[in-house]
Amino acid sequence: MGFYKFLLTRLLTFILVVFIGITTVFFVPRFMPSDPVEAMIGKMTANQAFMEPEAIVTLRETLNESFGLEGSVLQQYFGFVKRVILTQDFGPSLASYPIPVNELIARALPWTMGLLLISTLIAWLIGNVVGLLAGFRKDKAYSKALEGVSIVIYPIPYYILSLILIMLLSYIFPIFPLTATFQGEGFTWEHIRSIVYNSILPALSMILVGTGWWVISMKTLSSGIAEEDYVQFARLKGLSERKIMTKYVLPNAALPQVTMLALQVGSIFNGALITEILFGYPGIGTLIYQGILQADYNLIMGTITISIVAVAGATFIVDFLYPFFDPRVRYK
Amino acid sequence: MSKMKRLTTGLLLMAVLLSACTGGGNNGPEPTGGAGGGGADGGNEPAGTEAAGGGGGGKMTDVGTPRSETLIVDILGGRSPDPERFNPYVPGAVAMDAGVHQLMFSNLWEIDTQKGTQIPDLAATFPEPLDDTNTKFRFKVQEGLAWSDGTPFTAHDVEFTSKMISETKELGWNGYYTSLVKSMKAIDDYTIEVETVNPETRLSQKLGVVIWGNNFRVMPKHIWENEDPATFKFPDPIGVGPYKLSKRDPQGNWFLWEKREDWQKSDIGKLVGEPGPKYILFKYFGPEEKRIIGMIQHDMDILQDITPESWDVLKQKNEYARAWYQEFPYATMDDPCERGMSFNTAKEPYDNPDVRWALALMTDIKNVSMATFGGMLRVSPIQLPPIQVLQETYHKPMLDWLKDFQLEDGYKPFDETYAEGIVDMLKQQGIEGLPTDPQAIADTFGVGWWKYDPDKAAQLLEKNGFKKDGDKWLLPSGEPWTMTINAPANFEVQSMRLAFAVADSWRKGGIDVNVQQMEGASFWDSESTGAFEIGSYWPACGLLPDTTANMTGWHKQYIVPIGEQAPGNRNRWANDRVSELLDELDGLKPDDPKVVRNITEINQEFVKGIPFLPMFGTSKFVPVDTYYWEGYQTSEDAFEGPWWWWSQFKFYTPHLKPTGR
Repeated sequence: MGFYKFLLTRLLTFILVVFIGITTVFFVPRFMPSDPVEAMIGKMTANQAFMEPEAIVTLRETLNESFGLEGSVLQQYFGFVKRVILTQDFGPSLASYPIPVNELIARALPWTMGLLLISTLIAWLIGNVVGLLAGFRKDKAYSKALEGVSIVIYPIPYYILSLILIMLLSYIFPIFPLTATFQGEGFTWEHIRSIVYNSILPALSMILVGTGWWVISMKTLSSGIAEEDYVQFARLKGLSERKIMTKYVLPNAALPQVTMLALQVGSIFNGALITEILFGYPGIGTLIYQGILQADYNLIMGTITISIVAVAGATFIVDFLYPFFDPRVRYK
Repeated sequence: MSKMKRLTTGLLLMAVLLSACTGGGNNGPEPTGGAGGGGADGGNEPAGTEAAGGGGGGKMTDVGTPRSETLIVDILGGRSPDPERFNPYVPGAVAMDAGVHQLMFSNLWEIDTQKGTQIPDLAATFPEPLDDTNTKFRFKVQEGLAWSDGTPFTAHDVEFTSKMISETKELGWNGYYTSLVKSMKAIDDYTIEVETVNPETRLSQKLGVVIWGNNFRVMPKHIWENEDPATFKFPDPIGVGPYKLSKRDPQGNWFLWEKREDWQKSDIGKLVGEPGPKYILFKYFGPEEKRIIGMIQHDMDILQDITPESWDVLKQKNEYARAWYQEFPYATMDDPCERGMSFNTAKEPYDNPDVRWALALMTDIKNVSMATFGGMLRVSPIQLPPIQVLQETYHKPMLDWLKDFQLEDGYKPFDETYAEGIVDMLKQQGIEGLPTDPQAIADTFGVGWWKYDPDKAAQLLEKNGFKKDGDKWLLPSGEPWTMTINAPANFEVQSMRLAFAVADSWRKGGIDVNVQQMEGASFWDSESTGAFEIGSYWPACGLLPDTTANMTGWHKQYIVPIGEQAPGNRNRWANDRVSELLDELDGLKPDDPKVVRNITEINQEFVKGIPFLPMFGTSKFVPVDTYYWEGYQTSEDAFEGPWWWWSQFKFYTPHLKPTGR
């Protein structure tokens, strides 16, 4: 009975979070002092394309009609909620009309998922191993060296670190491409090779920055746990240091790290804006950025709704799975 | 232990896989040979794949074409979300400046920016009126041209396009087009007759290129007649231009164009000659830092619109890089829009011309020029950009009037010594290569601007009830005078920097000035709805001596209340005389001598009312790399301007030749 109550509570929380999230996502862009139609006209005229006043008036009318921006905000809101819930359709992108937002997201998502999932997992793995060693065997020279490197890299602003990598590995030693250029299409060796080759540098930048955080947090956790009574008791029992580290310290220190990892995996759907722009990598981050710049309501709503659902979903799953990892936690 | 081993083995395997993917450090596909002996004589060695086997090989681009046969061009507008959509009549199409209108699509009439005249392109002649009503016209289209799929291009394609736009309400251009053109009929394969809704005197300007491009793009009837124009993607586009689409990035970051085998049947083949490059790759490189590195590495031949600081780096690191001028000021100053401060004349206290004039006289223009673009700017005191053609037609002929112009109290604000002054300032900073001849100095830096006279500015303000409280100005109401200048946030760099430089000058004058940087959507929306006090906008463009079309928007009929979207006249400045002159201009043919007289008078009205405070023409740094290609237009060989993002790009291509590297 406790399990079902727990499940129901978490499910309701999930639904409430998603509902509040998408409602906010609908209204916030509309409070911005910008208009997608004006943005498009502005973009056209900024290109020095000459437009007569009459042309602007008629273009504005046509675009307003096409974009579905007519009617009151409430009418638009109910239409949006109905559309999203019933058909998961976010409508056309306003800046890239008439391309459906779903199509843009579907195109960008695999790139974001591929890059961020792999780099997050690698950073998590390396960071936790190094952090564990640094926390548990803090007197060893290699632990100090690994921790030192991580602490030095971690505070470097991501933009600067990425530029350093670009300068080093694309300019001074031109091993990797300056900007991503993908060859081939589909599931061909040429395409896969091209994706891997073009993704190394952005992935490396994210791993370097991500690892630092995991090292620091894992070190703090493991060094604290290493001083716990049950760990001291294990030592007195004569267990080997390796066994104590892997069987006593690691499982306890890993729990919050797993939670954080789950939340980070959820936030992958936000994309990695700076990475995508700096390395010319296609993904969700760039979509969100373009959506905001061009007041593309539908694109903003589509990308952020997916992100909200992903983070809320990840939290829900973590809540649900936690008792499996930690026997102290019960479905209550 | 075994787990650790498996993990280590897995990581090693991944490392091996990744190193295999990098091809041992080589960049891109294997070479297939090509022109050029390889190897650079000086400068930076280009990165990338070099052919094995000695001097017969050549570098390949990362899209698999020989570098020596490929011109690489920066895409100004970024990536295109849907690289399959080439329907130019829907907003989500591939960006026109990704090579689409530069190389493939063609316009009826193009522009010669050096002469300031329109020239035929797909049309062989200009519209000739068939009667006195100015509503019926006839023009010929070029004979012997073909679409890139081999189908002949005829007047029927033009007629079809016209009908398609008129009958498809979903197209953004439908409303305007139907208010302009009643019908377009092909009389035979090469003759078109047009009937307009109202009397027209500038049909070729409205359906042809004046600046950048034109939205009337002729589509192939044999492909489009069976499609719905509102939804058709046109994924395999064709045009009458000299290049055809060869490959595209599914992510929309690059587009590879290949010279047509039958280039003789393209517009350029007939009108100019054979284009030089076999391939032209339009590629989005990302932020400015990467674009600069790209050109330093000779991985990009044409860069669009960079900052003066980036140009400094580029010219030091790449000895083959060239800007428009060989020496200072390097940048071209013939861009057809000028920059300055735009006043919302519907808001107090900017509704008062004395206040606007006070702000003009409070502007230390030399220091503003230095702070904006290091002095590499040409001033303009009138409502037209100081480009060569317009300087000769308006700025110089108006010089005597400007010198004699007086404010109400007889004060003469014009300062014709600006150019000499800025040259002295630049000399003091150690800048070399500056012009010495007075005429050349004025041609480079402008005919003059308004005096920097804070005392006179103070007098004008005091006359209108403003008071000084210490160093700060108070409004007539007694409240502190604070103002906000809208500025672009990290786009249109010159306008962005100008806002900060002007704000600094006005702060020194005692006004509390805030610069509000805004992203594109908000920036434009604020201008349109009048939600601004002063903005770093640029409502003064022109290229042809007949700038009627660019000025039409200033008619008082386009003024709407604050809060509503304005179709034109976003400064909300009502001037009866300007409106009368615009009405009169509408009925005059472009070559009527009265056109220049009327436009000159309009400029005089603008000087008196100063709704927009023009400051500088736009300086564009559009460097080229002469490592792989030569023959680019420069100030010494100015067969055209460096407008690489305009539709007239295709006209430059026959001038470009490989260097043999």
